[in-house]
Amino acid sequence: MNLTTLAVAFQSLIGEVTTENIDHSLELMGKGMLGIFIVMVLIYALIVGLDKLTGGKKEKQ
Amino acid sequence: MNEFSFLVDGVQTMAANPKMLVMWVVGALLIWLAIEKDFEPALLLPMGFGAILVNLPLPGVLGNIVVDAAGHTTVVGAPGIVTWLFQAGIETSEAFPLLLFVGIGAMIDFGPLLSNPRMLLFGGAAQFGIFLTVVLAVLLGFPLKDAMSIGVIGAADGPTSILVSQTLGSAYMGAIAVAAYSYMALVPVIQPMAIKLVTSKKERMIRMPYNPKSVTKTTKILFPIIVTLIAGMIAPDSVALVGFLMFGNLIRESGRLESLSQTAQGPLANLITIFLGITIAFTMQADRFLNVGTLIVMALGLFAFVFDTIGGVVFAKILNIFLPQGKKINPMVGGAGISAFPMSARVIQKMALKEDNQNHLLMHAVGANVAGQIGSVVAGGIILSLAKVFLA
Repeated sequence: MNLTTLAVAFQSLIGEVTTENIDHSLELMGKGMLGIFIVMVLIYALIVGLDKLTGGKKEKQ
Repeated sequence: MNEFSFLVDGVQTMAANPKMLVMWVVGALLIWLAIEKDFEPALLLPMGFGAILVNLPLPGVLGNIVVDAAGHTTVVGAPGIVTWLFQAGIETSEAFPLLLFVGIGAMIDFGPLLSNPRMLLFGGAAQFGIFLTVVLAVLLGFPLKDAMSIGVIGAADGPTSILVSQTLGSAYMGAIAVAAYSYMALVPVIQPMAIKLVTSKKERMIRMPYNPKSVTKTTKILFPIIVTLIAGMIAPDSVALVGFLMFGNLIRESGRLESLSQTAQGPLANLITIFLGITIAFTMQADRFLNVGTLIVMALGLFAFVFDTIGGVVFAKILNIFLPQGKKINPMVGGAGISAFPMSARVIQKMALKEDNQNHLLMHAVGANVAGQIGSVVAGGIILSLAKVFLA
C-alpha cells in the first residue's frame, strides 16, 4: 500500500509539502535503517571472524 | 572631510542591515554558553566569535560577496580569510571535517566493542532519530536535501553533520552545525529525560555482568582496515568518513606510531577544531542565518537527538523479549548507541548507579557508544548514497 496516498500536499511556513517528498522520506527511512543494519551485521560478523582467527593463534601461544 | 567618510561607512552599513546586530548577540550567546556553561567550548567559542566576525559591515573577513536572486553567493575579487577558509576547507573538499576524523579515530579505543560486538546493533538502532527527523522535516515543508541534512544532526556527530549538509548543498549548514554541537553538549540533560520516558525503574535496574573477551593486537590492527574495505564496497559514499576515522585508529593501534597518534589526538584535532569553528561561521551571515527555518532546524535537532536515544532504548527492549532471564540487556545501554563519545556512556553509567549503586554499565555503554561512532558515519554515508537516487 502506498503510505502517502492519504497525505495531502500543502504549503507550510517553510515551503511546499509534496507527496513525492513524503514518499521519498519514508523510503529513505526504510532503506537507510536497513542499510545501517546490514553494515553493522557485516562488521559484527567480521569481529566474530577475526576473534576466531586471531584467538586461535593466541591459544597456540 | 570626504577623506574621512570611511569612519562612518561601517555605521551606515550597519544601520542599513540591523540583522547584523542580532548576530552579534547570537555570537555573544554562543561564547557565553562555551565559557560559562562549558557547552562544547572548543567549537562554540570559535563559532560564536566567527559569527561576530562575519557580521561586521564592509568586506572585512569575507571579501566582496554578491548574493543573486536565487540566494547563491559569488565572491568578487580576492576572498576574505574566512571565505577562503570555507572554500578551501569545507566547500571544495570537506577537508576540515574529514581531517578531524583522523584525530577522532586516534582517540577511540575499539577494544570494548571488539570484546562485546553485539553492541554494534545499538550503534545502528540509535540512528533511527535521523530518519524520523527527515520525515518530520519534510512534513514541515523543508526540501528533501535540507531535510536529510537536518536529520543528520541526530548523528550527534558535528563533522558528519557539516560534511553531509555541505555535500547536499543545504542552506541551513550554519544552523545545523550550531544545533549539532549545542545538543552534543546537552546530552547529559537530553538523554536521561528521553530514557526515562520509555523505560521503567525495573528495566533501568537490570544488571549486566561484564565478562570481556581478550582482544588480540592483530584484531585491533585488522579491524580498521577491513571496516574501511566493507564501507568502501557497501556504502561507498561513507568511505571518506569511515576511512579517515579508521586511518586515525590504525595509527593508534599500530603501536609503532605513538608520536603520530599523539599528534593526531592533540595538535591536529585542536588545530582543525579551531579553524572548523571559525570557518563554519561563514554560514552564519545575518541574511542567511536569521530566519524561521533556523529556529525550526534547532527544534528538529533536539527531536533527532531524543528519538535517536529512544530508538536505541526501544531496540534493546525488543531484543529483551527474545533473550532469556539473566542475559537481558539494560535498555539504557541502547541509548548510548549515539555518537557523542564518551559523554553518552558516562550518562548511562551515572543513571545506572543512581537506580542501583552496584550496577556498573560503563563498559557496555562504552561499547555501544563506540559503535555509535561507526553507526553515525555509516548513516551519513548512506544518506549521501540515497540522496543521489532521490535528488537526481
